[in-house]
Amino acid sequence: MNPTTSRRQMLLSTSCGFGYLALADLLTRAYAEPNSVPPTQPSSAHTGEEHYRSPLLPKQPHFAPKAKRIIFLYMQGAPSHVDTFDYKPELAKMDGKSYAGRTLLGPQWKFNQHGKSGLWISELFSNVAQHADDLCIVNSMHTDNPAHPQATILLHTGSARFVRPSMGSWVVYGLGTQNQNLPGFITIAPGGQGGAQLYGSGFLPAAYEGTPIAGTSSNGLPNVTPAAPASVQRRQIDLVQQMNRDLLRRSGENPQIEGIIESFELGFRMQSTVPDVMDLTKESKKTHALYGIGETDTDTFGRQCLMARRFAEAGVRFIELSHGNWDQHQQLHQKHESNAKVIDKPIAGLLADLKARGMLKDTLVIWGGEFGRTPTAQSKDGRDHNNRGFSMWLAGGGIKGGLRHGATDELGTKAEVDKMHIHDLHATILSLLGLDHERLTYRYAGRDFRLTDVHGNVEKKIIA
Amino acid sequence: MRLFTPIACLFAGLIACPAIPLLAADSPTADQLAFFEKKVRPVLASTCYKCHSHGGEKLKANLFLDSREGMLKGGENGPAIVPGSASRSLLIKAVKWVNDDLQMPPKNKLSDSAIADFVTWVDMGAPWPKEDKVAAAPNYAADYDRIRKELWSWQPIKNTEPPAVKDAKWCKSDIDRFVLAKLDEKGMAPSAPADKLTLLRRATYDLTGLPPTPEEIDAFLRDTSADAFAKVVDRLLASPRYGERWGRHWLDVARYAESSGMTRNLIYKYAWRYRDYVIQAFNEDKPYDRFITEQLAGDLLPSRGSKDKDNLQVATGFLCVGTRDYNERKPRQFNYNVADEQIDTVGRAFLATTIACARCHDHKFDPIPTADYYSMAGIFISSQEYTGIILRRGATFNQYDEDQLVRLADYKPDPAAAKKADVTADPKDIDRAAFRNFFMRMRSSSDFAKPSTPIKPLAMGVREDSRPGNVNILNRGEIDQPGQLVKRGFLSIPAIKDPPTISSGQSGRWDLARWITKSDNPLTARVMANRIWGHLFGHAIVASVDNFGTTGEKPTHPELLDHLAAQFMHDGWSVKSLIRSIMLSSAYQQSAAFDKAKYAIDPDNHNLWRQNQRRLEAEAIRDAMLAASGKINLAPPVASIALDFPETPLGAGGGRFNFGELISNTSHRSVYLPILRNMLPEALDVFDFADNANVTGQRDVTTVAPQALYMLNNTFVIHMAQAMTDRIATARLPTDAARVEMAYKLTLGRPASSTERDRALNYIQVFLRDPKAATSRDPYTNKAAAWSSLCQALFASAEFRYLN
Repeated sequence: MNPTTSRRQMLLSTSCGFGYLALADLLTRAYAEPNSVPPTQPSSAHTGEEHYRSPLLPKQPHFAPKAKRIIFLYMQGAPSHVDTFDYKPELAKMDGKSYAGRTLLGPQWKFNQHGKSGLWISELFSNVAQHADDLCIVNSMHTDNPAHPQATILLHTGSARFVRPSMGSWVVYGLGTQNQNLPGFITIAPGGQGGAQLYGSGFLPAAYEGTPIAGTSSNGLPNVTPAAPASVQRRQIDLVQQMNRDLLRRSGENPQIEGIIESFELGFRMQSTVPDVMDLTKESKKTHALYGIGETDTDTFGRQCLMARRFAEAGVRFIELSHGNWDQHQQLHQKHESNAKVIDKPIAGLLADLKARGMLKDTLVIWGGEFGRTPTAQSKDGRDHNNRGFSMWLAGGGIKGGLRHGATDELGTKAEVDKMHIHDLHATILSLLGLDHERLTYRYAGRDFRLTDVHGNVEKKIIA
Repeated sequence: MRLFTPIACLFAGLIACPAIPLLAADSPTADQLAFFEKKVRPVLASTCYKCHSHGGEKLKANLFLDSREGMLKGGENGPAIVPGSASRSLLIKAVKWVNDDLQMPPKNKLSDSAIADFVTWVDMGAPWPKEDKVAAAPNYAADYDRIRKELWSWQPIKNTEPPAVKDAKWCKSDIDRFVLAKLDEKGMAPSAPADKLTLLRRATYDLTGLPPTPEEIDAFLRDTSADAFAKVVDRLLASPRYGERWGRHWLDVARYAESSGMTRNLIYKYAWRYRDYVIQAFNEDKPYDRFITEQLAGDLLPSRGSKDKDNLQVATGFLCVGTRDYNERKPRQFNYNVADEQIDTVGRAFLATTIACARCHDHKFDPIPTADYYSMAGIFISSQEYTGIILRRGATFNQYDEDQLVRLADYKPDPAAAKKADVTADPKDIDRAAFRNFFMRMRSSSDFAKPSTPIKPLAMGVREDSRPGNVNILNRGEIDQPGQLVKRGFLSIPAIKDPPTISSGQSGRWDLARWITKSDNPLTARVMANRIWGHLFGHAIVASVDNFGTTGEKPTHPELLDHLAAQFMHDGWSVKSLIRSIMLSSAYQQSAAFDKAKYAIDPDNHNLWRQNQRRLEAEAIRDAMLAASGKINLAPPVASIALDFPETPLGAGGGRFNFGELISNTSHRSVYLPILRNMLPEALDVFDFADNANVTGQRDVTTVAPQALYMLNNTFVIHMAQAMTDRIATARLPTDAARVEMAYKLTLGRPASSTERDRALNYIQVFLRDPKAATSRDPYTNKAAAWSSLCQALFASAEFRYLN
């Protein structure tokens, strides 16, 4: 057996003994039962006829998935595409020329071709560039609104105007999660304008809400630190469970009470699993170095990236990391450079590590901000917001590597070829996970809602 | 449903098109037709029909390109072609990508030669062979007359005679006759009455959200009179705790919160006045029709003195405690968004009708044309809300402005309060600074629930706009696409005879309230009776409590619902009377015990063969711990600690992390905890608090591991267990067995069985013998720890959070 696989399986089934059989039974049942497609709404107090099923148990996708999990690297504030992943030689030539009443500002960093695919990537991301052949750079992203809050919320929930479930909540609603000892949707050190809405579950049941974790300590999850030594607390739980089983006997069939019994077993296991997964001291020095942990610039984000990998490995379905602020209306030079320095090595380390562990093939990594920046200058050393054209990249999880998809016009003002809206991105992400964005629906207030509302086209050209 | 965006919305509004006579190319030549078939039709089919044809995937821009008629009629931008003039044809402009906002096909421009063919074709008069008429597009409005006649909830309320039943003795009232008739029909018998302890616990939680005290338990057990339970119900209905419980139910419906949510998330400093108004209204048993009227139009009603006037004004806070995007830059767009939120809330709260679906297009499912929506929009656009927050001015982030609150009658401006300067720094920095100060203030304060900010006679509320009037329909809901002007009015519900007319010079809110509370309005009484039933049984008669439309559920007991609605109105819209009559029925007082045979027939208990086992709401779980510990402070707090919160945006995330800790020391009832959007107190969040972005007539009930972790490890829970231990320890009880008895009564409202007692005593002993558990040198400390662990286990048990 391949050592990485066994380690993953061990992590997936890690428990400290007590509730292990219950969990194994739970998972067996979950996989054995023919699952309804599209995913059923979770059991609640009002639809009690079935056996209790945790709303987080794994569910069958609509069709064979290419990716099993997502790591979303959200760049808040909007990085400049023409300085990072959108190669614009014409813009360089036109530097200083007047354009639409403003002055064009050429790319501020040198672009080079990388890998067999020869993708153009700026020197800001020289480490990430080493993975060029795994990246699909989408140069034709566009979104509705050039204001941070609206665009950030649209990127995360598919709707800028109303409070809707976030992308991660939809994914966990659709697929459940692999490791019942951990939350299905984790957001590490969340940032960005929109607050809890960015990982909220909206009208979906609260069980699908993202769990925010402070990115640095090993007990970033609320109430996960045991209030008593394990054996003492176990005895207390046993007492609770005796009472619960008494009640269940008196109540006859009651999925809710079965659910409570299971929730204590799961909760008990999470107490050891969560800190265990978040404990980076279990990783080798080499791995730490790979992520830039221990270096001044990259230590924090490196830890968060490594934590993301450990969560991914342990079976968490959707993991989000945030980094910012990329909103450089001024001091573009200095701030874009320092921002890139913080994340370039850790992200490259994450990609390398995922690949080495055989996880990149079914882990979809997404990088990008809520929009891009203008090719024209603002206050000499800055760029304004640009929602009409920007870049994101995707890697792993069924994505065609070494591909530059779509294009902006020659200056990078707006997306022109193979345009991809946020709704299209959402549709494509769901598709990679084996979910049809038109069938992943939730009935609320008399209507079937979707992440993509009434929009979205799957971009098949970027799928391997 | 209002989030339907413009393009997709059009699908709904299409009216069957009359035949348009063909113009130039009535008799195209064979050559012309050949050119069309060879050069033009294939391109249309391969690149346009996905979005612009009958049978395409989705129609966009209301434009059909699969017939000449369709092209001539055109879509939302007008005719697609002008035969004979390519230069004047929109289709040609679109395929040439002349304008930024009209580029077709959207992703890949046609080749130059294909574009040239289109130009040639249009210039030659757009020849098209004669074809059979294509089918008309779906027309939702065409079905409206039929739906208006068929939709159950739109038919008049019929107070039918209760049916005959097999066992008349079981029936204490007509309610029981309706319930039993249904059971008879299914060949099922109702369950036996619940035992007294179960019934008392059920009733006490249902009416007050609190457990019965040991004294109340003893008193009820002693009272053997026939009307002992009726006396309990009357006592509980008269308790001020009743309004705190049922007021909170209404606050769910009113999507109550003390901040604006969305991106800015600004504090609503005076929202609590509306909260207190609601609690008081339920305690006074304000007639429900009056309650509706005050919330919609309190500012317009005649009042008896200044206090009454203030109270009426505060009631209109209902309209403005919703989610608002104060980051919107266009004031007119903002006003329409506010009106939309108000229409949505009014529609679902009072009428269980999703009116707001008709903002951009005729309602797809219910008979609500866009014109009806804008007839109501005119009412709210003609009103002005005062939330204390203004739209962003220039580059400042200080949007709080006391002038933007309603001044109550005895308002005297405070000369000492200098106007605060606008702040122009980065909002996040302000945020952090303000919070830091806030936390420090809070830590030094012994009573967290009392704001240190002076309370001014200000309130959130609504007033008439200076120039009330009608508004235009907005095509696709877009503010720059005005259509026909519509008179202010209400939904076209045929059952409602002689709807009030709105006089010019008024917004029409009072008339709206009159229309909603008219006795022939088929929805209002049914919707509220259904909500009340739902809270007392766990299942409402219409499961979709906020949606009585065609996509909602149908009533399980339609005649019973009508009976309740009629009785409700007959009794002067008294909520307390309706609650009382339901609770005094045999149906309510049934046991919730399991029965295998009946469960097999009706597992969801649609027929009410038993009471339902129900999980307590988040507030009741927290309050029950406070009550058991004896720490509960039943005196309502003054105002809300939201008053102390920073006036700058709560905005970006992070605030949530320590918020639970911040408020965990307050011992007031949960209904008084500050409810900030996106920053819910942990105790409420973990047990499925209402989604305060929307009308929530029924909360979710989830069962997840974080709830277990909360009960096991949360500091508040542990403190409550310790306080309960103190209470038991100081009760001067003779034996540990008596202490176990007290612990069970305080938490579960019943004595422990002998098995349970022995188990508990054994648990204490094992705990004391375990050096890992009993870690202190002091035996009393160890004993306290052991009992505290037991009390916490009782809190954590499923029985504690379930009602039988």
